[in-house]
Amino acid sequence: MASFRLTQVASHLNGTKAPRTQIGVQSPDDIIIVQALRTPITRARKGGFKDTTSEYLLGTILRGLLERTHIDPTLVDDICVGNVCPPGGGATTARMAALYAGFPNTTSVQTVNRQCSSGLQAVVHIAHAIQAGMIDVGIGAGVESMTQFYGPQHKLIPDTISDEVMEAPQVADCIIPMGLTSENVSAEFCIPRSKQDAFAALSHQRAARAQKLGYFNEEIYPVRTKIADKDGKETEIIVDRDDGVRPEATAESLGKLRAAFSADGATTAGNASQVSDGAAAVLLMKRSRAKELGLPIQGKFVASAVAGVPPRIMGVGPAYAVPAVLKKTGLTVAQLDIIELNEAFASQAVYCVETLGLDINKVNPKGGAIAFGHPLGCTGARQISTLLTELKRQDKRVGCTTMCIGGGFGMAAIFESEH
Amino acid sequence: MFPCKYRTAGFKGYAVKFSPFTDRLLASAASANFGLVGNGRLSILTTTTTNTSNSRTQSNTNNSPLTILPQQHYDTQDGLFDLSWNELHENQLISASGDGSIKLWDITLKTHPVAKWKEHKREVMSVEWNYTAKTTFLSSSWDGSVKLWNPVHAQGSVQTFSEHNGCVYTAAWSPRHQDQFASCGEDKSIRLWSTNAPQGRSIASFGGHTDQVVSLDWNKYSPDVFVTSSTDRTIKIWDTRNLRGSVTMFGPFEFPVRRVKFCPFSPHFIASAGYDMSASVWDVRNGSVTFVHDAHTEFVFGIDWSYFHPGQIASCGWDEQIHVFNVPLPQ
Repeated sequence: MASFRLTQVASHLNGTKAPRTQIGVQSPDDIIIVQALRTPITRARKGGFKDTTSEYLLGTILRGLLERTHIDPTLVDDICVGNVCPPGGGATTARMAALYAGFPNTTSVQTVNRQCSSGLQAVVHIAHAIQAGMIDVGIGAGVESMTQFYGPQHKLIPDTISDEVMEAPQVADCIIPMGLTSENVSAEFCIPRSKQDAFAALSHQRAARAQKLGYFNEEIYPVRTKIADKDGKETEIIVDRDDGVRPEATAESLGKLRAAFSADGATTAGNASQVSDGAAAVLLMKRSRAKELGLPIQGKFVASAVAGVPPRIMGVGPAYAVPAVLKKTGLTVAQLDIIELNEAFASQAVYCVETLGLDINKVNPKGGAIAFGHPLGCTGARQISTLLTELKRQDKRVGCTTMCIGGGFGMAAIFESEH
Repeated sequence: MFPCKYRTAGFKGYAVKFSPFTDRLLASAASANFGLVGNGRLSILTTTTTNTSNSRTQSNTNNSPLTILPQQHYDTQDGLFDLSWNELHENQLISASGDGSIKLWDITLKTHPVAKWKEHKREVMSVEWNYTAKTTFLSSSWDGSVKLWNPVHAQGSVQTFSEHNGCVYTAAWSPRHQDQFASCGEDKSIRLWSTNAPQGRSIASFGGHTDQVVSLDWNKYSPDVFVTSSTDRTIKIWDTRNLRGSVTMFGPFEFPVRRVKFCPFSPHFIASAGYDMSASVWDVRNGSVTFVHDAHTEFVFGIDWSYFHPGQIASCGWDEQIHVFNVPLPQ
């Protein structure tokens, strides 16, 4: 008898500690998202932003976030911006953009490059900084002008690389063009071209339908900018929609395209993500702070994880990152209501959907990068705005964003809608 | 502010409750040897504003007690883990014992209880008198059951509710629906019951705590809201209307909270007491701690609010101490 009572008291002191962030539970220390917002995404060199520079795009979306949330800019401690291609990592242009947007010079700015996940990594850096108490209020953002900084004339890899380093295992794999990593995935995991084209067509169909029904209206902040015609004459325009979407695309029509990266390959321009321009930004703080400031809460950041994979098949990244983040949260794949899986290539997207056992109806319900583009640094932040608005529209709760990353990684994060 | 103290020498405090009838009257349930083995003691105490120990006068408000005086005490065979005052008779109270018995005491009598019920097969962990209907009381036990009793019902318990697995730490009456109560237990679950439900089946179940749920109390002003504390080291606030489960959580802390009690004077405040050897007051609107009482030197297991003095709290713990102190209740 006494021993049972003793064991009971001991059990109280050895109980399983509850996780700090739980689905369906609100804690004053939760890291919440006041608002996630994005610009439209346009085709690099040809679309609405072809004459728009990255600091203007970033500055505009930061301004948009201030406008929509009505937050006092002086309260924002730090802005972290993900971008991949610009010179100097975009650090100076990001600072310029913040000042242009109306933030005081007391708001700090930093940039981050984790390739295609940069926008997500930026948001996660800010979430962690708030959790650690380094800052109180922050913005995680992403921007990429692939018109300005991506292409054969722009070097992302230096001319001179040490021979000794290049000889080490897997190092040479790091400079395989992304399209060839897609071919590696297609071949190694036997993803037929037909499946890839079908997936690509689905992306376009879903994006077209979402555009028609106005499902993107809440996440998009229209951008006033200038565009020059072939004679250099400038006109002012308002860009308010993604211009890469092809409503008429079918698996059959995409099947006619030539392989783009290898002669007998499966990856074409039609089943790969588009090269695009765009920006996105997410305002984060603790729940207690949002309540104090009287700000609405769009969603909650739950957890994130990153996983390393072989560089030559970098596309498999999400197949490792998603299980890693699910393990952290104790959730199962079935408990995810919507998954934003970046469509770098249909090959890797199909592989990840099948390997993870995802319900295709829960994956990219508004289409993905194949339909509307993948502005590299922007995507990770953009996915959050697409995810939270769609969770609200479908009246669902738990979402996951994930992407593969050049160099051989995957990243994934879990969010909960608080609509 | 210097807390007003009383020592239940030789007996470790498990529960303390203010009388709902008589201002300044309170009782404590305590057990020898930390409640592991040995006797129990039910102590009847009164607080007084006059300092009887010496003639020095101190200026104080009517609210501030200066001393706790013993009035009566009753010793029992096994340890006592909880008590509850009778809502119909100002001199009566019930005690919950480690031998599975519940005793009804009259404080005008010197030694023996006026009634004894022994049905539970294991330790009785909590008792609570129905403060809306007033004629019945609940008991919860380590035998996994909650029992409904009416003192005039001679045959024993009126009904038994057995759905929990393992120890049921607390059963608490709803402040609005006199037939409804909630229970929580070792099986990490919380159940909502009605004494009118057919076959004694629970009407709802709430999950989410990742370890044992040891205490539960209802918000007296928002009657769909209740608070729980768990050995998963959190406090959670639930709304019975929200089965989807949007719940507010404080913590996880370093040590579990052993008892939680909503304030009878305000919907916004909860008193908590626990294994960190302190008692705290929480503002549930923002999760901030508005008061910490850390004068105890052992686990604090019992806590209660006065029904007569807003912000007056009694706490008791394994340091054999009963403290009475006042806390602010900011608007």
